Amino acid sequence: MQFSTEHRTGYTEVLGNGRLNMVAAPKLRDVVSAVVAAGKTRIVINLAGTSFIDSSGLGALIGCLKLARQAGGDLRIACVQPQVQMVLELTSMHRVLTPHPTAEGAFSDD
Amino acid sequence: MNRMTDSPSKRRALVIEDDADIRGLLVHILSMQGFEVAEAGTASDGLEAARAGADLITLDLNLPDGDGVDVCREVRTFSDAYILMITARTDEIERLTGLETGADDYISKPFSPRELVARVNSLFRRQRSHTAADEAHADERRRAGEVQQSLLPRDSLQLDGFDLAGRFRPSRSVGGDFYDWYPTEDGMHLTVADAMGKGMGAALIAATVRAVMRSAGNSTDLDAAFEDAARAMEGDLEQAGSFVTLFHARLTTVDGLVEYIDAGHGLALKVAGDGTCTRLTPGGPPVGAWPGQRWTSDRVKLDPGDSLAIISDGLLDIYDTVEDFTAAVAGVVHSSPTAADACRMLLGMADVPEVADDVTVVVLNRRAEN
Repeated sequence: MQFSTEHRTGYTEVLGNGRLNMVAAPKLRDVVSAVVAAGKTRIVINLAGTSFIDSSGLGALIGCLKLARQAGGDLRIACVQPQVQMVLELTSMHRVLTPHPTAEGAFSDD
Repeated sequence: MNRMTDSPSKRRALVIEDDADIRGLLVHILSMQGFEVAEAGTASDGLEAARAGADLITLDLNLPDGDGVDVCREVRTFSDAYILMITARTDEIERLTGLETGADDYISKPFSPRELVARVNSLFRRQRSHTAADEAHADERRRAGEVQQSLLPRDSLQLDGFDLAGRFRPSRSVGGDFYDWYPTEDGMHLTVADAMGKGMGAALIAATVRAVMRSAGNSTDLDAAFEDAARAMEGDLEQAGSFVTLFHARLTTVDGLVEYIDAGHGLALKVAGDGTCTRLTPGGPPVGAWPGQRWTSDRVKLDPGDSLAIISDGLLDIYDTVEDFTAAVAGVVHSSPTAADACRMLLGMADVPEVADDVTVVVLNRRAEN
């Protein structure tokens, strides 16, 4: 899985392409840790290119959310694809990781 | 595990390469060496083919839909096949050997058929000299698998008017799923759980969760018991960066009432005697996923002829939607004469390359009245 990072106005966007699973999970954690360490704590994970997530991938998103919150910021997810949406709903984790339709709009409420 | 192979005629190779000419050449060379050769032109097709089993995989570093290093790491999560990585540049090899790619060897383009054959032969030779250590590891994995299977309920319960069965198949020697049941004065307690991830780490978490959930059986109030158990687990789960989805239920046989909590599991179904199916209501997120959660219990009544099926998400991977999955499971449960038959069929459905995760099924039938 490939990740890229873009600094936008008011937030940092992390884009992930591929399958967010046991292999990709540690990578995502590394990418987000580096962003947080650089002082950027408002993060949007853009999942437009993430076709699949498993429990390890979900664990990575949760871990990244914790990192951002501990640093005084927040992490939001955007552009969620059907399989990811399904996993979030099945696990009731959409209440904690609420999907936003667009990356730009993810922080628009504050 | 599919490493090796005494008889050369049975060796299977997989060529993952997007360039059709090079792919054809590799297929030809390996076929000449007695391999049964499958081929794939993309990372995703390659992964699917690798799941079907291979002893040797040649893997191009640059694929149209992904990085060969990622494919390699991914293959390593489920396969012990020899991986020979093929790169376009000699200097790439130095960089790659520094990474923990999981590849066994590297070769750069252009290569001669003779060079390739030499590398392949050396891989299979090298394996023989490592046999003792591999054997010890394989033994340990086998033993761990046996221990985990022994923690599953050995026998079905004799429940008046009910028929109960469960099956668990880890994706590797051990896995993060388990199911457990034990009798109570008026019925039984049932737990189906799935710890995050796969393999040994997930199995250690699963064993801990099982023990904690067993101790929760002493309290009469389901909500309080579950909350206590969840609080007891949360610290360890937090520490391990893990979480667990749980379906925990209590059955009263006399009236068929099932009181349950679904903590992020999401795939517990009631299949009525007429074949209609409803998904049980979720009661909150997985335990350990997020601090400060509460879970709510609910009830479902099983009338004679009704069934309850709890499936882990491993089987979900072959369906596009939860609705498709639900319909398929309901069909199997409804048409199977016994709970054990239903479990066997459901596990059989998971016997396809797309299912890379652990799979657990538990089926409880309330017998129809004659």
